[in-house]
Amino acid sequence: MSAGEYIHDPFSKMVIRSQIGIALVLLLMLPAANFFYPTNYNLKAGIHGVTAILAIILGTYLTHRAIPLIKGVQVKLESLRRWLLVATVLNLAGAISGNWIYMRYRGQDGPRDWILAHVPGFHNVLMEFKEFVSLFPFPLMLSATAMLYFYGLPVQHRRDITRFVGITILVSWSFLMLGFVVGLILAKLRFV
Amino acid sequence: MQKPPQPQSFFTGPVVAASLSLLLAFLTLLITHHISRLSPGLDKLIHSYGYWIPGSTGKGPDGSIGSYSGKETLAITVWLGSWLIFHVLWRKQELSLQIWTRIFIISLVAITLGFFHPLSDPIVLFIAGFFGLP
Repeated sequence: MSAGEYIHDPFSKMVIRSQIGIALVLLLMLPAANFFYPTNYNLKAGIHGVTAILAIILGTYLTHRAIPLIKGVQVKLESLRRWLLVATVLNLAGAISGNWIYMRYRGQDGPRDWILAHVPGFHNVLMEFKEFVSLFPFPLMLSATAMLYFYGLPVQHRRDITRFVGITILVSWSFLMLGFVVGLILAKLRFV
Repeated sequence: MQKPPQPQSFFTGPVVAASLSLLLAFLTLLITHHISRLSPGLDKLIHSYGYWIPGSTGKGPDGSIGSYSGKETLAITVWLGSWLIFHVLWRKQELSLQIWTRIFIISLVAITLGFFHPLSDPIVLFIAGFFGLP
């Protein structure tokens, strides 16, 4: 039996799928808890948290789909571009909801005021960085998606183009992670 | 009679158009952000482009996104505008993606570092001083 086939046996598939399912539910609980926090802004915070973590989960999955694309291996482009489209929508939702919660962040006696009074570096360096790099993943994902739909499925044979699309997905994920981690740090420091 | 499928020809121009327009949009965010920090007047100027966005103005506990709205508006305009122009110009152009990938990644890293204030502020102040800005 070759090592390549082993992973496809039904038991392994079940284990992997269960792990993904459990991780998805537990990770979603992390931001979904925001809906029940004692603040007037729990709806905004919850929506931003849920869209952000969904974008992270899908973005991470897409990095695995991007690697064969970069290596020039034949991939299922039709399913890939559909997932990319979903990722684009999720990243747009993350950016819009981010704008929404950012209003309260800057509001009177909001997190910004508190952070500036206690640990200004977290706002002056981290937040000033995060608010902009968090805008990067959506247009990057949109550009990758647009390329795959523009060229159509025969683009599979143009390795240089598919490679660039793969790199764009990886780059988008990097900014997504940067924004997500800094966002979590700030939300932990002072919630809305 | 049906023709046998022909091998399609692709041009790489649209890839460069899509990604270069992204760099220009991110650069717009960077430039407008640093300009808005130089003086309240410049901040108001940048802010005015974003008044159309709900929640761009206002005070109190609910807050507003302030001049961030103007930076976003200008970046979206540059992004979509330049994408359209470059796409039309280069849709039948074959450009080397190997070289472009390097330029793209290096520029993206440089722009990203530009948002890291401890690194970028001295450079911004030097350039602003050169133009006699506050």
